[in-house]
Amino acid sequence: MSVQYTPVIWNRNKIFYDAVLLIAVVLYLYIYIRVAPGFEDVTKPIDGAILRMRAFGSCAFLMLTVILCIGPLARLDRRFLPLLYNRRHFGVMTAGIAAVHANYVLTWYYNFSPTDKYVALLSSNTNYGQILGFPFETLGIVALLILFVLAATSHDFWLSFLGAPIWKALHMFIYAAYACVVLHVALGALQGAGDPIFTSVVAASVVLVSGLHFATGRMEARRDRGEETAKASLQEKGWLVAGELDEIDDDCAKVVTLSDDERVAIFKYDGKLSAITNACAHQNGPLGEGKVLWGCITCPWHGYQYNLSDGRAPAPFTEKISTYRLKLIGSTILLDPNALPPGTHVDPVEIGEAA
Amino acid sequence: MQTAELLLELGRWYLMAGGVVAAAFLVFGIDRVEPSARGSYAFRPLLIPGICLIWPLVLYRWFTLEKHGEDAR
Repeated sequence: MSVQYTPVIWNRNKIFYDAVLLIAVVLYLYIYIRVAPGFEDVTKPIDGAILRMRAFGSCAFLMLTVILCIGPLARLDRRFLPLLYNRRHFGVMTAGIAAVHANYVLTWYYNFSPTDKYVALLSSNTNYGQILGFPFETLGIVALLILFVLAATSHDFWLSFLGAPIWKALHMFIYAAYACVVLHVALGALQGAGDPIFTSVVAASVVLVSGLHFATGRMEARRDRGEETAKASLQEKGWLVAGELDEIDDDCAKVVTLSDDERVAIFKYDGKLSAITNACAHQNGPLGEGKVLWGCITCPWHGYQYNLSDGRAPAPFTEKISTYRLKLIGSTILLDPNALPPGTHVDPVEIGEAA
Repeated sequence: MQTAELLLELGRWYLMAGGVVAAAFLVFGIDRVEPSARGSYAFRPLLIPGICLIWPLVLYRWFTLEKHGEDAR
């Protein structure tokens, strides 16, 4: 990576995203704390501190639900992709809201005794063997710790420093955090006086998160099966698996050997793929080692140039080389080994989503 | 009560050890293993909470990157 790190990268879209998020959070908290009490049962008034605690807790829960829905939604429908781009800020804000909830709990329930509030939190209920009266606070603590770790490691530095596999594995703990939060709520808030709205919200969240992940999983499995069938069918017709898309760097080629005297260079350029013979028409120079510029390949030996889509030298030159047909199934490149007559135009394969 | 106190004490020591690792890493290590961090200082305080929380993993990666360089990424 050559770009230096900055504390937070903001652009117009991200500022808009964060502003909308912040407004939504403030609005939710305002309605919960200021407006909703006007509709509460006057015989069972809720104390202000408890109301704020519930407002921040439920807000964090809803935010976590949305975060977990963004991934599968973006895979099901690309229009949701903008929500995915700045999900890290969403996560950091969720951890902050959850921390405020925890602080209200600590300062309300555990602050008025000589025992240290953190000791009181961990020791006031240790009945881990029972469902009713389970110390659900512990589940909240575990979830909060996970959210802290994820928020604290959300900067680009961590992705580069830890490496993508470790960073991704670490951030998959978001699912453990969600499970802990659901249990924290189910064994805590939902065990108290019946609140049909909150119970429905929690149930809807679980159904939504699981349903979207299940639907996405099914869709991807179906697509994978379709790709495998398409690949097998092409291979039956004589096409060759030439390799995977990520094996080829931008503006470079992968050279595939068909026989001792026949090599094909598959180029990746401008988000497209094209295949031509590896041998220059001039003196058989290795075109696959050449440079791509403006959709043309330049032979590294004597500078002869060919358009990658039709194998023709740009006018006024007249040299022509063979082209080949390609197909991209998922991220696998398939090559028709039958060379087309020199100068035959072949539409480049658009990489598109597979990239 | 005793278990809770012990857990909190362990947590305190864990975070203090994390603070030491954070100081060492941000002063000496980061420039050696992360080229994009060279000459960039404003973002470093943001890394302190993360290092304090996962310092054993930070030490492991620091050691791996020192030993194997960019191949470990």
